[in-house]
Amino acid sequence: MNLKLKNRGWLVGGALLASLLASTAVMADTLTVMQIEGPRSMDPGDQSATYTNALLGPMYQGLLIRGSDLKLQPALATEWSVDESGLEWTFKLREGVVFHDGTPFNADAVVYNFERHLNTERGLAASGRIRTFLSKIEKLDDFTVKFTLKSPYPAFLAILTSNSGQQVSPTADAAGNLGAAAVGTGPYRMAEYNSGEYVLQEKFADYWGDKAAGEDEIKWTWSAETSVLNMALQTGDADIINPVPPVFAAQIEANPDLKLSVSDGSAVFWVSLNTENDALSDVRVRQALNFATDKVGLVQAIMSGYGSPANSPLPSVAPGFDPSLNPYPLDLEKAKALLAEAGYADGFTMSVVVQEPEARIGEVLQAMWQQIGVTLDVRRMESGVWSDAAFGDQAKKSAEGTDSVMASWSSGVNGADLQLRPLYHSSSFSPGSANLGFYKSEELDALLDKAAATIDEDARNAIYVDAQKLITEDAPHVLLYVTKDLVATRANVEGVWTIPGGQIRVETATKN
Amino acid sequence: MKAYIFRKLIALPLILVGVSILVFIALRALPGEPARIMAGPEATQEAVDLVTIRLGLDRSLLEQYLTFAGNAIRGDFGDSLRSRLPVIQEIAERVPYTLTLALTAYLLAISIGVPAGMIGAIYHNRWPDYVVMIIAIMGASFANFWLALMAMNFFSVQLGWLPLLGANSWQSYILPSITLAVLPTAVIARMTRSSMIEVLGQDYVRTARAKGLQVRSIYWSHALRNAVIPIVTIVGLNFGSLIGGAVVTETVFNWPGIGRLMVDSVRFRDYPVIQGVTLVAVFGVVLMNFLAEMLIAFLNPRIRFD
Repeated sequence: MNLKLKNRGWLVGGALLASLLASTAVMADTLTVMQIEGPRSMDPGDQSATYTNALLGPMYQGLLIRGSDLKLQPALATEWSVDESGLEWTFKLREGVVFHDGTPFNADAVVYNFERHLNTERGLAASGRIRTFLSKIEKLDDFTVKFTLKSPYPAFLAILTSNSGQQVSPTADAAGNLGAAAVGTGPYRMAEYNSGEYVLQEKFADYWGDKAAGEDEIKWTWSAETSVLNMALQTGDADIINPVPPVFAAQIEANPDLKLSVSDGSAVFWVSLNTENDALSDVRVRQALNFATDKVGLVQAIMSGYGSPANSPLPSVAPGFDPSLNPYPLDLEKAKALLAEAGYADGFTMSVVVQEPEARIGEVLQAMWQQIGVTLDVRRMESGVWSDAAFGDQAKKSAEGTDSVMASWSSGVNGADLQLRPLYHSSSFSPGSANLGFYKSEELDALLDKAAATIDEDARNAIYVDAQKLITEDAPHVLLYVTKDLVATRANVEGVWTIPGGQIRVETATKN
Repeated sequence: MKAYIFRKLIALPLILVGVSILVFIALRALPGEPARIMAGPEATQEAVDLVTIRLGLDRSLLEQYLTFAGNAIRGDFGDSLRSRLPVIQEIAERVPYTLTLALTAYLLAISIGVPAGMIGAIYHNRWPDYVVMIIAIMGASFANFWLALMAMNFFSVQLGWLPLLGANSWQSYILPSITLAVLPTAVIARMTRSSMIEVLGQDYVRTARAKGLQVRSIYWSHALRNAVIPIVTIVGLNFGSLIGGAVVTETVFNWPGIGRLMVDSVRFRDYPVIQGVTLVAVFGVVLMNFLAEMLIAFLNPRIRFD
């Protein structure tokens, strides 16, 4: 704060009067963040949206936190250990921590937090994943807890940093208004929630960590119009915008008042091919579509270059990613030959369901695949309608003639299992999970199950390399590209960073 | 007249019940479940089902409707699925913003549209008429949304004269209310013009001219008074489309009114809020139409509702 005051011309001379008249509230420095979507809940455990997680980030913490180097670091837990079976995890909790409402943070609070997710009657929106692996949680003493897992789960520690692992005040949760008023242990507490307009956060005086980091207040606003985000950054109505649509990236980069930050993202875009469809049940046809897809061209056309062609079902930020794979360079001759071999020398017609904002990808693919005689019927839909069609079961998809679905999947840096299991494991057929094309490979199932039970990271990643090879060979998806995360700030803003997948962290950001 | 008002007052609740049933069914027929949206695409079906049960959306439509209607009669529209605040509170906070924006836009539209239409009528088939009509056709054709973005980019980003977003000062009203006023201005100008042309051709106007009345007096007191009835009708009946326009305008300008609330809620399938906002908007439209009819009866002694 002192440094900032020095830089301010208005403190000098006659302007002193103005500062005397101004209340302290006016003097507070506010960092304004504008995102594409408003908060879906003030309870981190009752939603699953990236932009809500970003907004709740300064107010809540988990037992662990992901640092800006993307490594896991202690937060509300100071140390942890796992037994040989990989099933029992013991955590030492940080002492002297209080929630924003004064409730002490201790083993009882942690047990309460995970039990509310295990309780099926609560029906919290983010509980699903925790229930798949957590058997029980016990208090050993006031500051020690023990988790017992159903089976070894490589992503366990990563989940503790995510939305469902964020610790909420048991008092506030029991009172039932956590959804409207956030109460966590983070460096900022909720000051105001005007649900139509903004969320205002202010420094929490009893924060256990560094109280000096970051600005006095953080104000979150939102607009669904990307051009409005861009304009708000230019006028200074917003200090930070997230995300930046790639079409505005060049304009922002050229403006000396603004800064664009580009980092590797985690959303992999693909077209899931319905393997129940006659033509698409043939692996050669699926490979042909992959060969006919100009990924580099797609990245240029759709992402203005801010993306990487997908060479693997995993994004480059995922542990176990194999950068050496490149199974489907653009090769129209090979694609035509494969189609002819499969008996479709004259091509065929197939449909794809796409969400309205991604319709252009469908149109570009339509043009690309036309070159090998495949006619793509692009069905553009509003997101809710799309979700209904995309997550249909075999009978529904066959009745509606849904031959493929365009979608993306982002598991952040939480491990390959969260990317590969829901998309390709045979137990994940939609609507239960996201194997949208009903792809079934016993070999792959075995690899994924084996990897999930392997505690040693190197050994596990080696299995995932095999899994990536198998998936690309079988081509249940046409892999398109992996996004970059684009965030823009005013030039005077420092210290904003992004967790791959688009969740920005701003609690230590400053305006100079 | 009293009987007429009485009939209208009886009809209002019936209209509201009808609309509430329509909205209720339409929302649930719409693909896209709130529970799926809350739990996210990566959630398992089991997790989605549990959320559905918690939200009470697994119950039969009739049961859900009766609960909703029973509470709604007592002014309780339930809680927002998103903010968890009572819907009635969410709406009450925003209605003033939408009303002030809509009224400002209407005042603008009337004070520009009526004189413009009169100019068109007075200079019928001469160049001022063509200018007015070309502008009016353009105004009626431009997409509200596009106009708003262009205006924001020019006046706020390029020139820096006006605030870009929100409702923080009187200057904040300028761009949204002008954008919202464009369409009704065009409609009112055209209606005024055609109704004035008709009136100006009538005998009593010729008589007024013949007896040497001042031109200004003929236009403003004699002709306009009779031309005003269709104008009031169009103003009253267009309130609904004005609210429709507010949905777009409020969304683009981050205006904290019920239009933006509606758009955000549809995206999230926030059923209680969508139901509440729709009922409030329908109530407003019906009320405005009713007031317009009363005003017409007051202005035109020949019209009496019995």
